[in-house]
Amino acid sequence: MNLRQFNGILRQVFLLPVVALLVTAGALYWQIRGANATVDLIQDSDARITQATLISRLMVDEESGLRGYETTADTRFLQPYIDAEASLPAEFQRLSNIAGANAEEKHDLDDLRNEQQTWRDAFALQLIAQVRAGGQTSDVDLNLRGKTMMDEIRHDIADIIHDAEMQRTRRIMRWHQQVRAMLLGLLFLALGIGVLIGLFTRDRLHAVSAAYRTSLEVLSRRAEELFQSEQRLRTTLASIGDGVITCDVDGRVQMMNPVAQELTGWEQADANGRPLEEIFRIFDETTREPLETPVAKVKRLNSTIGLAQQTMLIHRNGTELNIADSAAPIRDQMGNTTGIVLVFRDITMERKTQDALIANEKLAVAGRLAATIAHEIHNPLDSVSNLLYLMRNNSSPEESKQFMDMAEQELTRVTQISRAMLGLYRESKAPVPVDLREMLQEILLLMERRFLDLGVTVSSSLPAAISVAAFPAELRQVFTNLITNAAEAAGHGGEVRVSIEWQAARADATGQKLQAGAVVKIADNGAGIPDEVLPQLFQPFFTTKGEQGTGLGLWVSRGIVSKHGGTITLASNTSASAHGTVVSVFLAKNPTVNAGGD
Amino acid sequence: MEQESHLVLCVDDELVGLQVRRILLERAGYRVVTAQDGSSGLEIFSSEPVEAVILDYSMPGMHGGEVATRMRQIKPAVPILLLSAYIGLPLEVTSLVDLYMTKGEGAPLLLQKLGSLLEPVNAS
Repeated sequence: MNLRQFNGILRQVFLLPVVALLVTAGALYWQIRGANATVDLIQDSDARITQATLISRLMVDEESGLRGYETTADTRFLQPYIDAEASLPAEFQRLSNIAGANAEEKHDLDDLRNEQQTWRDAFALQLIAQVRAGGQTSDVDLNLRGKTMMDEIRHDIADIIHDAEMQRTRRIMRWHQQVRAMLLGLLFLALGIGVLIGLFTRDRLHAVSAAYRTSLEVLSRRAEELFQSEQRLRTTLASIGDGVITCDVDGRVQMMNPVAQELTGWEQADANGRPLEEIFRIFDETTREPLETPVAKVKRLNSTIGLAQQTMLIHRNGTELNIADSAAPIRDQMGNTTGIVLVFRDITMERKTQDALIANEKLAVAGRLAATIAHEIHNPLDSVSNLLYLMRNNSSPEESKQFMDMAEQELTRVTQISRAMLGLYRESKAPVPVDLREMLQEILLLMERRFLDLGVTVSSSLPAAISVAAFPAELRQVFTNLITNAAEAAGHGGEVRVSIEWQAARADATGQKLQAGAVVKIADNGAGIPDEVLPQLFQPFFTTKGEQGTGLGLWVSRGIVSKHGGTITLASNTSASAHGTVVSVFLAKNPTVNAGGD
Repeated sequence: MEQESHLVLCVDDELVGLQVRRILLERAGYRVVTAQDGSSGLEIFSSEPVEAVILDYSMPGMHGGEVATRMRQIKPAVPILLLSAYIGLPLEVTSLVDLYMTKGEGAPLLLQKLGSLLEPVNAS
């Protein structure tokens, strides 16, 4: 039941009694009107009786006056007769005018009037004329006739009065009946309406009560569902492997799941209501500068954010963890930010593993070259050892001098190779100027034997010394890697071309300004890399070399180039006529070195 | 001495190493012919009465394994000493030759091993 239906019921419950009372009032009015009509009729009867009595009295007066005149012949006695005679027609008329007379009564009245006229004409006027003439008035016949006529009149008047009284009695009875019927009617009507209102109201109230009960049930079910869903959410948050912290819009901690409590070292109870930056203390791993709090950053950008790389979290006990995290605004249905949720995890082990992989790959680059390097060292050493043997056994001074020169030459080669080898390991804390031409030449020297074994021809175009600021050992690792890849791709009879070009400062397609720097290109005429493989090349552990490869070379190379603020791009062609791959490494002359890499 | 000395073919792409080895062997009483790659080595092997071969493994164009295979096809009886700077060459390569030794083991050992390869010739 909705509010509209409920209001409908309220209206019905209000209107029904009003309508019922109106009906009752109507019925009462109709009954009272009937009773009033009867009362009018009773009053008519009363008037009729009074009028008839008046006429009767006038007739008595008339006869008495006539008798007095008859006896005395004095006209003064005749005065009542004259008065009565004068007013009788009007009184008759008044009687006949009274409403509510039935036909019989009208007929009786007409009879009475006729009889009175007859009496007057046949007796009274005759008698008066005789008296006036001074004649004899003791005529028995005349007097007897007059008496008979008057008796008749009196009898009729009495009848009329009697009839009117009877009529009145009947009407009074009828009034009584009406009043009783009205009372009974009212009683039954009131009873009926009362029952009707009672039943109706009861029915409506039942509906309301049912709806109320349903609402209560729905509410309780909703509350249960809400509780369940909250419970589920709580369990999810508690079981999730990442730390989750929610804050209100001012950055005060509201909730921390167990992982978050463990990683920060703060119990939920202690942390409640404290500013996030107190609980979640983060700083940059390299610079050790405190980082902007996620709350401030989310508010500033008003969107989901991933936090900076190299984020370290300080545990309550002071230990430091590498973490990866993200933060997002919590929005209500209107889209207003009502809080911030922070998700983070401990990546210390991940970082250690990654560092170990990178270190491992560095060794692997050197390791892959170890055999050829040993070979390169072995060859001159063999010559030197043979020369020493010759010098010790019967050599003339001239010959010895020649042998010593040869030995020296061979040792210079060994030194060159071992220096190139050491370059792979030499670490520097800050970027130093690196001559790329010299570096590439050294790498090519170191790899000469490898090319020979692979049957690959290497050509280089290294026109002038080009110097960039870099970490030499790491760059050497990148180029060794890329050149090895190219030589292996080119295969027996293949070719590898290594070149350096200077690139002036310019803007790229998007208008981004690019620094001046060097582009090192390493091209091979191998089979090329299929398109489906290209996107995976820079992913760790992806290798096309089976057991021979670690799958880390390009991944690490890209990391190093990014760290140098440079780019590494790869273009490949698998067509029959122009197959091959070109890897281009751009290195800015004075890069902003990005210590963390990517 | 001249007539009894053996003719030895040395094949190596390392010029200095080759020269030094030649001097060493000549001092030890051998006659020496040299080649700097596999194909010219095979030419000399076919045309000259070579009695022993000292063969390098890693060379441009054709490696020591291939050269040894061809030599076996041409003159199976001529002993071959494989002398490489690599340690641990695969068995399919080392099984082709009579002897395998690594560079840098020293001149006396080389002369001794070469001598042992040529002894059966002396005896005959």
